[in-house]
Amino acid sequence: MSGGRVRAPVQPGRREGVPWLVLQIVLAGSLLLLFVLPLYALFTYASPAQIVAAWNDRAVQAAIDLTFYASGIAVLAAVVFAIPLGYLLARHPFPGRSVVEAVVGIPVVVPHLLVGLGLFLLVLPGSPLFRFTNAIGFPVYDTIWGVVLVMVFVSAPYTVLAADLSFRAVDGRVLEASRALGAGPATAFLTVAFPLALRGVVAGLLLTWARAVSEIGGILILAYTVYPGGIYDGPVTSTVSVLVYDLFQDGNLAGAAAVSCVFLLIAFALFLAVRLGERSGWVPWRRGELLP
Amino acid sequence: MTRWTVDGLTARLERFRLGPVDLDLAPGRVTAVLGSSGAGKTTLLRALAGFVPIETGRIVRDGADVTARPPEARRLGYVPQGLGLFPHRTVERNVSYAFEVKGVVDWRARTRPFLERFDLLPLARRYPARLSGGEAERVALARALAAEPDLVLWDEPWQGLDVEVRHELGLVIEELRATERIPVVLVTHDPTLAFSVGDEFVVLRDGAVVFRGDGARLLAAPTDAFLARFVGFENVVAPADLEDAAAGSLAAWLAERAGPGGVAFPRPWVDAAGPWEGVVRSARPTPEGLRLTVRAGALSVALALPPPWPTPIPAVGDRVRFDLRTEALRPLGAEGAGS
Repeated sequence: MSGGRVRAPVQPGRREGVPWLVLQIVLAGSLLLLFVLPLYALFTYASPAQIVAAWNDRAVQAAIDLTFYASGIAVLAAVVFAIPLGYLLARHPFPGRSVVEAVVGIPVVVPHLLVGLGLFLLVLPGSPLFRFTNAIGFPVYDTIWGVVLVMVFVSAPYTVLAADLSFRAVDGRVLEASRALGAGPATAFLTVAFPLALRGVVAGLLLTWARAVSEIGGILILAYTVYPGGIYDGPVTSTVSVLVYDLFQDGNLAGAAAVSCVFLLIAFALFLAVRLGERSGWVPWRRGELLP
Repeated sequence: MTRWTVDGLTARLERFRLGPVDLDLAPGRVTAVLGSSGAGKTTLLRALAGFVPIETGRIVRDGADVTARPPEARRLGYVPQGLGLFPHRTVERNVSYAFEVKGVVDWRARTRPFLERFDLLPLARRYPARLSGGEAERVALARALAAEPDLVLWDEPWQGLDVEVRHELGLVIEELRATERIPVVLVTHDPTLAFSVGDEFVVLRDGAVVFRGDGARLLAAPTDAFLARFVGFENVVAPADLEDAAAGSLAAWLAERAGPGGVAFPRPWVDAAGPWEGVVRSARPTPEGLRLTVRAGALSVALALPPPWPTPIPAVGDRVRFDLRTEALRPLGAEGAGS
């Protein structure tokens, strides 16, 4: 070692050089602008009075009710069906697992208009499935169940993937500790694996919900107009996305923007509530974490 | 008072083969399972706990065969590597877990003595993420003992702990031996820990038991170079280093006394009247004395110089003399020749 000097660690922003930093900021900033500007356009196009009017409009309220009912059921369905599938994928290596994973990915990659068409063909009047769904009291064509069906199809994979990753991330040694302390496999799952995976699962459920409420393609075909029936007993309506589309088609740009704003405000409030809950640390799925 | 015996246990985990392992785990005795990384220590512990399927052999608790029982039915106090604390439960709810799982109604009252015993009452409502290494260690031990186990299995107790906590933990293990009349199995790659708490020693290498016995035997008779190095012999000379030794050299003198696997010896003392001479390559002061490495002919030899050492201390390039007694030498068999 003759006069060799230890190189100082790279300090971000200093040694990287200003042009490089500017480039990063410009590129990242462009994308962020793209995310924010459309919302800005929506909220400035519709006047506050129009937004308030839309808020108080009965037809808009019906569409919002329907959208929240249907997406709520889609989230419940994800809890019941998607979490077990994610757990299965995470815990048990089985032959054909990659095939199952590919199948779970189908709804993410298939265009949603095609999804609607496929579901529509399945429940075409006179088809066996049409008769079956009617017989058990879940007719899907132009009902809330149709909306739910499309929503589950397009949104459940997000919960499956999140549950898969979250259960995989649970430290096997923590699970073994619980078994050695006297917990059977089911108890270990309920008291350790599930609570530890819950944070990721909840994130997946939020994605599922967001994807469900934003769906339009499949709903346009299977349940463009929703008639009362099932758990929805309000007036004839459609989902918020379809309603906005209708207003736009009719040339009512201000109306479309106002309804969009109402919906966005409600969705933002919901997300904000969840985030605040997580930051304050009272939500059960963040228990024991170090909070910033 | 429970006695466990393990007869001819073999297990296979993917391509790794463990065993056959025989153990006799007596109440109040600490068995230290030693070995380098990948030797199968953790696999053995997990097999005892019931997490690794056993191919052959039996695990017997007080005469009853428990080989086929699931982990939850073995009455274990198991501390996995990294402790395995439940991050979503407070300290109290970690310790109370075994009571809760058993459906004990007054779990809170039953947990309290364990919290008290390990000074955990002030931490009862804390989550593991906010514990120091020593605190977490105490929680893991309290939680394991609250299961009222018949056997304590502890994987790498010292991992990642600083010196003071290590000392504290050594005292805890001592106390455990005295108060809990149950067998303890410790897995470690740290001979210092093993020698400070172990009564029985099992050394694993590539899944096979290469030594089983007490500490005196382990120190007296390291059977191959691996074991010799492992138990702390700082001079382990391979047969290749003893070939073609010049007549009258240290290497030639050692070659006459070495086994087929070479020879091992602890650090000889620096002795001005000693027959051997070496050139100092490094000199480092330690609480036990000065540690020197010298070059003696073709060999590198580690020496010790007890305090008070001379001033100035021997410098690199100085010549020092040392003595080496035949009694200190351990002729070694070929590596892996077994015990």
